[in-house]
Amino acid sequence: MFSSIKKYSFRKFRDSETKRHELNYLFWECTTRCNLNCLHCGSDCSKDSSHQDMPAEDFFHAIDTIKEISQNFTVVFTGGEPLLRKDLELCGKELRKRGFKWSIVTNGHLYDKQRHISLLNAGLGALTISLDGTNKSHNWLRNNEKSFDKVINAIELASSSNRINFDIVTCVNQKNINELEQIKELLISKNVKAWRLFTIIPIGRASHNPDLTLTNNQFVQLMDFIVECRKSKEIDVKFSCEGYVGKYEPLVRDSYFFCRAGINIGSILIDGSISACPNIDRTFSQGNIYTDNFYSVWENKFQPFRDRKWTKLGQCESCKDFKDCQGNGFHNWHGDKKNVLVCHNEKIEKTTKCQHRV
Amino acid sequence: MINMRRNVIRKIVGGLSLTSAMFVFQACYGTPQDFGLDLLIEGQVKSKATGLPIKGIKVSVADNMQYELTDEEGMFSFYTEMLEGLKLQFQDIDSTQNGLYANKDTVLTDLSKKMYLDIVLEEK
Repeated sequence: MFSSIKKYSFRKFRDSETKRHELNYLFWECTTRCNLNCLHCGSDCSKDSSHQDMPAEDFFHAIDTIKEISQNFTVVFTGGEPLLRKDLELCGKELRKRGFKWSIVTNGHLYDKQRHISLLNAGLGALTISLDGTNKSHNWLRNNEKSFDKVINAIELASSSNRINFDIVTCVNQKNINELEQIKELLISKNVKAWRLFTIIPIGRASHNPDLTLTNNQFVQLMDFIVECRKSKEIDVKFSCEGYVGKYEPLVRDSYFFCRAGINIGSILIDGSISACPNIDRTFSQGNIYTDNFYSVWENKFQPFRDRKWTKLGQCESCKDFKDCQGNGFHNWHGDKKNVLVCHNEKIEKTTKCQHRV
Repeated sequence: MINMRRNVIRKIVGGLSLTSAMFVFQACYGTPQDFGLDLLIEGQVKSKATGLPIKGIKVSVADNMQYELTDEEGMFSFYTEMLEGLKLQFQDIDSTQNGLYANKDTVLTDLSKKMYLDIVLEEK
């Protein structure tokens, strides 16, 4: 009964947030160049990107159209690898002048002491660093034998600053699923406070590598691991908001599943496209900063993001959980969009059924 | 007024579902939120004897690895963590190049989100 009231209230909250669609979180895909060649890359980045980095003035011209700035508005620099941009600090300072906060998602490879200091000086406030396993499994996924050591150095630097709110993300896959306890201990020893785990969606390079996808049993193993970690509270562990996880809602996160893509989360992509999270199928772009007014697009378009009824297709059509899941994370709709790419809840239910049979 | 009412309703409805991360969220591939707990410190360093700006002075935050060097105009500008009793250190680290100056420490009180400092260094 109590649980039903909570769920009902959350649905109402989600509906009101959708109607309000306040822009809180803006990704800027500032480069698609990358210094690594990760096996799981969803964006198919490369060292020599076919796209030029977006000139900073083009980005600022777009965001200067924003008429109502929400209290927690943040620009998240993503890529590619954002640290490859030499003008990152200048861009950060420009954002702070406008009263915006900013943060970066990085593979940590170029995050040394000098860069740490210059980023802090420029007003960096939050950071996400990827660590995908112990030495061997991390370097395997990152396709680089020096990556682990560099990431650990980056984590130590980030941990040394009280100013930065940072977390570690780990792509859980076949090679590291049984190392999670070790990774947790490593992070605790490095004074990391927050750790976010996600699985790899089979898009980009990841679609060609079966070692990257968890089996249904392994997925449930991951959920159980997160639940146990959250009980012990040694470190703030959570599952990312990549998908709806049925009976594990909201045990693996601070809140029930709510994909805020296009509701609170927008993006300006490398070619000027206006969309939501950068891993969303690019055919969902709602406009382009070179031809449209960014804020007007945010205010008046984004209908497929704000009314998800169209996702009642394929296996979602008759799903009993649709009102809580709403077609899963938006990035799970790719290609012909006739069915959801991954159903996290299906993995859980299939495993639970097998366990009952045994 | 309408906005205020909407905000109150939003908080009530959100609160009823008893989850703590309603208004502070992060995108699945994004960063955590920045809570903005810093301040901008700007200023200029000049020579007491000549009144001219001094280039190359290291402006650092005590007990912290952050620093910046003053530019041609003796100017510096950086963000740092908002802390009571924040201590800044001004050091001449380039020996006799740009003159030779005594170091100086300054403790900041009455912190605000943006502070401007005029610093005068004495010749050694």
